[in-house]
Amino acid sequence: MKIYDVVPGLEFDPERDFEQSPAWFLDGTHSIPPWTPMFGWFWINFCRHGMQYGAEKLSLPTVKGWDWRFMKGGGYLTLLLVKSQEEKQRREERFRKAILPFIEDYEGLWGGFIKEILERYEHLKALKLDEATNIELLDNFEETINTCRRMWEIHMYMMYGTYTAYILFENMCRELAGIDDTSPTFHRLVSGFDNKVFQVDRRLWQFSKRAEEEGLVDVFLQNEPANISAALATSEKGQAFLKDFMDFMNEDGWRMQRMSEINLPTWVEDPTPALSNVKQFLMKGGGFNLDEERGKVAKEREAAEKEVLDKVPQEQKGWFEQLMRLAQKSGIFSEEHDHYLDLYTHAMMRRSALGLGDRFVKEGTIDDREDIFFLIPDEVRRAGINPDQFDLRYIVERRKAEWEEWQKTPNPPAMLKEGFDMDQAMGVLVQSNDPIALKVVVGAMPEVRPELKADLYGTCGSPGVAEGTARVIMTEDELHLVEEGDILVAATTSPSWTPIFSMIKGVIVDRGASLSHAAIVGREYGIPVVMNVFEGTQKIKSGQRVKVDANLGTVYIQD
Amino acid sequence: MADKWIFWFNELRSEHNDMVGKKCANLGEMVHLGMRVPPGFAISVDGYERFMETTGAGEEIRAYVLKNKEGLKNAVGKQIEASRFIRSVIQSKEMPDDMKLELWKHYEKLCEQVVCPNVPVAIRSSGAISMPGQMETYLNVCGKKDLVTKVIQVWGSAFTTRAIAFRLENNMELDKAPIGVAVLKMINAKCAGVTLTVLPTTGDLSKTVVEGNWGLGESVVSGEITPDSFIVDKESGKTETTINKKTKMVVYKASGIRIAKVPAELQEKPCLNKEELEEIVRIAKDVEAHFDMPQDMEWVFDSDLTFPENLYWVQTRPAKYTQKKEKQDEYLAELMTRIFKM
Repeated sequence: MKIYDVVPGLEFDPERDFEQSPAWFLDGTHSIPPWTPMFGWFWINFCRHGMQYGAEKLSLPTVKGWDWRFMKGGGYLTLLLVKSQEEKQRREERFRKAILPFIEDYEGLWGGFIKEILERYEHLKALKLDEATNIELLDNFEETINTCRRMWEIHMYMMYGTYTAYILFENMCRELAGIDDTSPTFHRLVSGFDNKVFQVDRRLWQFSKRAEEEGLVDVFLQNEPANISAALATSEKGQAFLKDFMDFMNEDGWRMQRMSEINLPTWVEDPTPALSNVKQFLMKGGGFNLDEERGKVAKEREAAEKEVLDKVPQEQKGWFEQLMRLAQKSGIFSEEHDHYLDLYTHAMMRRSALGLGDRFVKEGTIDDREDIFFLIPDEVRRAGINPDQFDLRYIVERRKAEWEEWQKTPNPPAMLKEGFDMDQAMGVLVQSNDPIALKVVVGAMPEVRPELKADLYGTCGSPGVAEGTARVIMTEDELHLVEEGDILVAATTSPSWTPIFSMIKGVIVDRGASLSHAAIVGREYGIPVVMNVFEGTQKIKSGQRVKVDANLGTVYIQD
Repeated sequence: MADKWIFWFNELRSEHNDMVGKKCANLGEMVHLGMRVPPGFAISVDGYERFMETTGAGEEIRAYVLKNKEGLKNAVGKQIEASRFIRSVIQSKEMPDDMKLELWKHYEKLCEQVVCPNVPVAIRSSGAISMPGQMETYLNVCGKKDLVTKVIQVWGSAFTTRAIAFRLENNMELDKAPIGVAVLKMINAKCAGVTLTVLPTTGDLSKTVVEGNWGLGESVVSGEITPDSFIVDKESGKTETTINKKTKMVVYKASGIRIAKVPAELQEKPCLNKEELEEIVRIAKDVEAHFDMPQDMEWVFDSDLTFPENLYWVQTRPAKYTQKKEKQDEYLAELMTRIFKM
């Protein structure tokens, strides 16, 4: 019998798709390594929907969101540009009004969405999976699909609006105060705020303090992360600690080590990664104080605010300050949305799919609960109510074999029509004025300054200078290799990497812009980040001594 | 040094700020906008420098500053002493004859123009950069001799204690003062006041506020009395009028100004009639539209002339006000729209 495409209707088809657009970019941040079929189905369908929804709701004058295709576990994207001048004008008229909610009451807007989506999660979690009927499980799965769809609507509407404000602030800083988003002063302006991700981080740090107080330090230091949980369970104090820790996991542990995938356990299922973070705090020793570190960054921000406001003419100060407050929320949103939107929804997808997976295994539909990630929703529906009637193992088998193949050869960074090169393709991205493309994907191009004699040139993502041992990390699985005082070298980073930022002294990333993860988190931890060096992971080897000067955007390899 | 150092206001525009100072450049700009300003002329910064160099005053001041510079920092007593010394140096100098002749030539022409021999003028400082304590003004100056004396005194006012302290604090050169002078015909004020094309307390841009009193505008500007107030809706013209009891006003005396009692029959009478108010609002709206920014303006009605030729403007500048949040929001939305056009 025929096995369907992983994402029916949205598989990459060179013949047709190059007619639509000559350049399709791989979403390297999210789809390396290649996705499981089920996750790919969700992402391609709904991230695509969300971007077009967000661009349309805001009526962005120049861009209608992005189109996405699926190819061998990779997500490929291209921009949907507004074609005629007349249409641009019409959209511009509507945009002026559509953007107002962001300006008038940003917190109300974002807070409302958080409430809405958390209610959806609570409803999904209310179903006891092992006691539910097949119909209830299938309903839960359908509701999860709708939640994911809604999540992406909120995600992209918010992101487009937020980043538009951020770009304006950047422009105005350049115009009125002579600083741009690669300047250290600019970065101080947008750092030092609390957000949900840091609150989780702080809770982990507080648990490390509690471990110290209750004499549990050795349990952490003498055990591998995977064994800490079992070791804690051997003492009374340890049990109490573990109970509170699992309560905290049930609240805030709805995330997986990899943000954009569902085939790894959530912290609720397996708290090892979270306990490992606690261990890392303990290894830093008693002197480390997360709140103090963060307080310093906030102080520096206040000084930078004063410095910049002093340069702005009196009659422009009113709106400039309002804009600054708005732009400062971009950083908060950038981190926080990962927690409330992507991570949480993906954890819900995993939970709901595994509920059906268990049932399917019981009825012999598939062999392993996680095999369900090799099915797509239509196939899940086929067996949903009467799993005993269907054997879907042949689909799983073939898809899994394909998926294993995808892992072996990396997907190309872009699919380009013959005669079209990468520079032209980047040009289209810049022309689109798409706020997300500009601030997350492309970023500023580094300036090569031979007089500095650096080995690599990048842009400043977070100011500062640091020296240390390079640690090249390509995937989340390797994060445990990072040691105190290292300089992290990566292609890009994602939210699950956040906790290691408290250990490292600096970051070098191949690609990134001022609102990409490494830059935002680097600023919050007050460590230098050099971005867009392009060849960092190729030129630098783990163990080499490196010096980063983010203020100048330079990297020196000293061995 | 340029040969020409006196300019009629209609020869000036706002871009001449550095040449003649802000007040004069602004008056020039107002003339070009078709606003009636008091007839008069501007003495440029060059005029001041020419005086300082040819009389040797500049050299004496430089020498003094060089000798005392360090001691002046953070020492108010020394600053007062310096101010006294420098001003006395300037005032002790005679204006060179060629400069006197040039100044008198313009003054005579002004007298002819307004058909009034020895026409009383106001002499005001016009700094190229805003600096506190440099606001010397002499009113009701009559005749050539007094004109020369008062111009020199205005130049000296560039060295008040406050001005010296300010320059020290901001690391500016002490012996330089980019100061121009405005010489304007005195208006025999029937009534005068201010106009703001925005409600300053709320930032409401749909309203214009007019406040006025009998006599010179100084009483309204200084806030010493409660003036009549008219809040006019720019679109509909609907007016909210508050007539206050005006007991005092500012008038000229032989030299300078004094506070006088308002005659009893005028105290509770509006200082503006309907057509005068409308004329003020009409022009204020035009000027605001020209600068694309709410304006803070000063006007005066001359009792010697007939309406509408009797309405003079002496000042317009960007208004300071609390911006209304909605307006600010829309402005930000507009700026955001523009980033898609880059």
